[in-house]
Amino acid sequence: MRLKIDGKETEVKPGTSILEAAQAMGVLIPRYCYHPSLSVAGNCRICLVEIEGAPKLATACSTPCAEGMSVLTSSEKVRAARRDVMEFLLINHPLDCPICDQAGECGLQDYYMEHGRHKSRFPQADKVRRQKRRDAGKYLVLDNERCILCTRCVRFCEEVTKTEELCVRERGDRSYIDLKPGARLDNDYSLNIADICPVGAFTSADFRFRKRVWFLERTPSVCAGCATGCPVEVHHSGGAVYRLMPRPEEGFPAWLCDEGRMTYKSLRAPGRPAAAFCEEGNLKPAAGLRFAASRLGKLKPEQVAIFGSPFMSLEDNLALAELAAAIGTRNFCLHFSTEPGIKDGILKNTDHSPNARGLSLIHSAYGGYTREQFSEKLASGEVKFILGRNEEVKAALAAAKADIPSSVFSFSDEPAPGRACVLPAASHFESDCLFINYAGRLRRARAAVKAPEGVLPVWQAADRIASMVGAPIRLETRAAVLERLKSRIPELAGAPLADDKAEFELK
Amino acid sequence: MKKFKFSPEFNTRVAATVARYPRADAALIPLMQEVQRELGHFPEEAAQALANLLGISYARVKGVLTFYTMFRREPGGRYLLQVCRNLSCHMAGSVKLLEYLKGRLGVEEGGTTHDGLFTLVAVECLGSCGTAPVMMVNDDYHENLTVEKLDKLISDLRAAAKAQK
Amino acid sequence: MAEQILLKHKVVSLDGYKASGGWTALEKATRMEPAAIIDEVKKSGLRGRGGAGFPAGLKWSFIPKDSPKERYVVCNADEGEPGTFKDRELIRMNPYLLIEGMAIAGRAIGAKTGYIYVRGEFAREAALLEKCVGEARVAGFLGDKLFGSDFSFDLHVHKGAGAYICGEETALLESIEGRRGQPRLKPPFPAVEGLFACPTVINNVETLAAVPAIIEKGGAWYAAIGAGKSTGTKLFSISGPVKKPGVYEAELGIPFKTFLEEYAGGMAEGKKLKAVITGGSSVPVLTAEEAMAVKLDYESLAAAGTMLGSGGIIVIAEGTCMVDALLVLAKFYHHESCGQCTPCREGSGWIEKALRRFEEGGARHGDADLLLSVAGNMPGRTICTLADALAMPVISFITKFRDEFDAHAAGNTCRMGHK
Repeated sequence: MRLKIDGKETEVKPGTSILEAAQAMGVLIPRYCYHPSLSVAGNCRICLVEIEGAPKLATACSTPCAEGMSVLTSSEKVRAARRDVMEFLLINHPLDCPICDQAGECGLQDYYMEHGRHKSRFPQADKVRRQKRRDAGKYLVLDNERCILCTRCVRFCEEVTKTEELCVRERGDRSYIDLKPGARLDNDYSLNIADICPVGAFTSADFRFRKRVWFLERTPSVCAGCATGCPVEVHHSGGAVYRLMPRPEEGFPAWLCDEGRMTYKSLRAPGRPAAAFCEEGNLKPAAGLRFAASRLGKLKPEQVAIFGSPFMSLEDNLALAELAAAIGTRNFCLHFSTEPGIKDGILKNTDHSPNARGLSLIHSAYGGYTREQFSEKLASGEVKFILGRNEEVKAALAAAKADIPSSVFSFSDEPAPGRACVLPAASHFESDCLFINYAGRLRRARAAVKAPEGVLPVWQAADRIASMVGAPIRLETRAAVLERLKSRIPELAGAPLADDKAEFELK
Repeated sequence: MKKFKFSPEFNTRVAATVARYPRADAALIPLMQEVQRELGHFPEEAAQALANLLGISYARVKGVLTFYTMFRREPGGRYLLQVCRNLSCHMAGSVKLLEYLKGRLGVEEGGTTHDGLFTLVAVECLGSCGTAPVMMVNDDYHENLTVEKLDKLISDLRAAAKAQK
Repeated sequence: MAEQILLKHKVVSLDGYKASGGWTALEKATRMEPAAIIDEVKKSGLRGRGGAGFPAGLKWSFIPKDSPKERYVVCNADEGEPGTFKDRELIRMNPYLLIEGMAIAGRAIGAKTGYIYVRGEFAREAALLEKCVGEARVAGFLGDKLFGSDFSFDLHVHKGAGAYICGEETALLESIEGRRGQPRLKPPFPAVEGLFACPTVINNVETLAAVPAIIEKGGAWYAAIGAGKSTGTKLFSISGPVKKPGVYEAELGIPFKTFLEEYAGGMAEGKKLKAVITGGSSVPVLTAEEAMAVKLDYESLAAAGTMLGSGGIIVIAEGTCMVDALLVLAKFYHHESCGQCTPCREGSGWIEKALRRFEEGGARHGDADLLLSVAGNMPGRTICTLADALAMPVISFITKFRDEFDAHAAGNTCRMGHK
């Protein structure tokens, strides 16, 4: 159907709201209660627009477009309504912006500048007082006084998590959002509530007062917390990551799970190694690689085992596969069996690894043992040295009841197995890399912060080790890695791996 | 929190109440009223119990409980005195009646007498403006009130309560 | 006295109702095509008696003919508009009239089930209705295959729990469904998606009670009563300092002066008329002079800048402080705002607090204008009309009795000796 918005013609599908139609044209109608992923409540009244010929203003969020309709989104009547709604919203607001962590991303601040700018005519003493800061859950702090009762949080808990922890209590201007006494808002997606709260009522206990948001830089990336591979925005400043936020991407809901959001914590975990660590003590990362190479160089090819991981990127696993091929060992494993799927109907995957599909592609192209076969190999006594990711090597050694020296790549503070030399590795927060999620979709992680001095991504480390042992794999640059992926893995032959924007999905 | 148990009488009434609606959760308000009728108020523990019974959330019950003013969340007196304070009653002298009751009973608005007999509240329009001023005592309307009538009413209620003891 | 349609008989038993000619309209309706019933109601010109005055037949005709869903008839007996007490009176006088009217409405829209939503305080009336519904069921006036037709209809009484807003039809539906009584966004309208998401007709007690007579005697008969588009009779509740406050059935179009003098017996001894609220507390107040010149019907009252509303007439006598009276109403709306929409939630509290300063001291010159401005910023910008219902008295009281507000603000004194 066709309609006019601010005099411009547009065409929309029946059922499209005025707000959505306007947004598609680049006209952003202000909103508090409206959220594209939640039901329409229509209670904040900031999105009122004028429909020519209609006696009353209509809420753009709830009014469907109609054939021939002419909508005005910034007529004098509309601007007056917005100004008045802003005034009503602020009369009982504490205006405690300096001590509010929402500052800088607050809907009240934003729209006051744009639509409010009224003189205060409400006596401070008349303000309705409500409960200030309180602990509402593991990750949430609730300030009822700042709440504008848009009910996004209530609807989120009803419609998305279906946990229904929250409700509006009382009525009129005595209303407030509350939980059951003694209960906590600890569902698996609770931090989304801090995101969708348009004001400073729900804030993140993890992030609050660690950084003013205007100092944050934002890097689009993906979550490596499970096989779903949700799009995220990494918020960082001065080389430190402060939080992960959901990033809109076609095909993904606008949420992140709490567990995924916390994955950035491993970066700054006190026990995460920034230096290599061997029996000899701490080494510079480069020396750690030399140490691994020297061990490896003393052994026959079959005495070396190389272990890929679904927790590492396509680049990392490719380089390890290339290394195994270059030194000529048959003792390598690029296999991981999993039955992925969304387990809670929202985002969380039964498979905790971000790249099982990617690993299986490399396994198909390079071969190698299955995990079971590999375990037998380790138990057989033939292998004298293992190279792989810390967690997998440790688990494999434990499963095979073997005590074999190793060099392990470490991304976290997870303790290493005995007789291991720990090689610090750059994570997906620190290097551009690719994963393939459970559905076969290419996921791009982008370096948001720098890895500690000398710490390399695994693919680069593997390339260095290969050179040191005289079996060069020629993966000096990422471009070379991407080219190799395309040439060695048929499924990725036509994939736009180097193009940051292009989407790709396995057939 | 202690676990709430519905009375046997309540349990016998649930099915008939639920049957009046195509969805069980629609019986929430009548069942809350039933709990209150039995106990004189709707105790906090009953919220979760009723939520479980109807397969709905505690939050929903609590939201409803706090929305409607006739639900009493705390135990009150045997007689709930609700003095209408809206315009017709106001013009007919309800302020004086309320003041009189406060004095006679020695309580403020919302308060309950020490003997547990009376809870006094001022309420919005009771829909009986033609016989203003009006006060409800539990389910009954007392109309065209004067201080004299009120005085006698309170005495009668006290006597009735005493007789019942 | 004009024709009595609603309050004609005091009926205390099912037999009594039958003797008064009850159930004949329902029997007739079971033999009529639903569309013919709706046509008759349309022809009658009957308009919603709850306050909005929307044509009842037209409302019924909005029920989708081809919907496979259940349909419901809901009676709004959540009488809570200050100054209004006619529905309670009607239920006490003749509860069967409402039951019969609802059954006819059910026949007209294809509903098998009806709910009567009675405000919680009307416990006695709810019990009476329950008793009468039970009797009607036993006697075969409710239930399966009424009068040997294929039409079945049953009723349930649902008691409110204390919320004025549930008189708003969609809030009432939320309340029946066991939720907080918060008005719904429209569209969808209840006729399409109402109770339990099914097509629903919601009418006031008085509207439904008028239906049996219309079906029995014909829409044209009903339309001949009243004035112009305000057809039929109306129950007026009159309160305040008049000789005979109460509920009276009068023909629409009756001059207020006639009504006051002939029905309500005139002003009480020693009282002089100062102002009149004609349609429940939510409509603009009229000065004595305006009131004495106006006729009580939808059009005349609209022309006078106010509304017929629920027909709840509140008479205000000289000596009444309008600031004090308005504060009483402002408190009420503040107390009853559901809290959903920003302008009403915040504005209702603001207005009460600002008015309180006029009464308790602290009001400043210009505060009357502040009140006018705040009240003016509320209407038409919320989901339901509670904001309008507060704004109208505020604006009209201040505009028409400005001197009293200014005197309070200037000297903090009240000419009425109220403070």
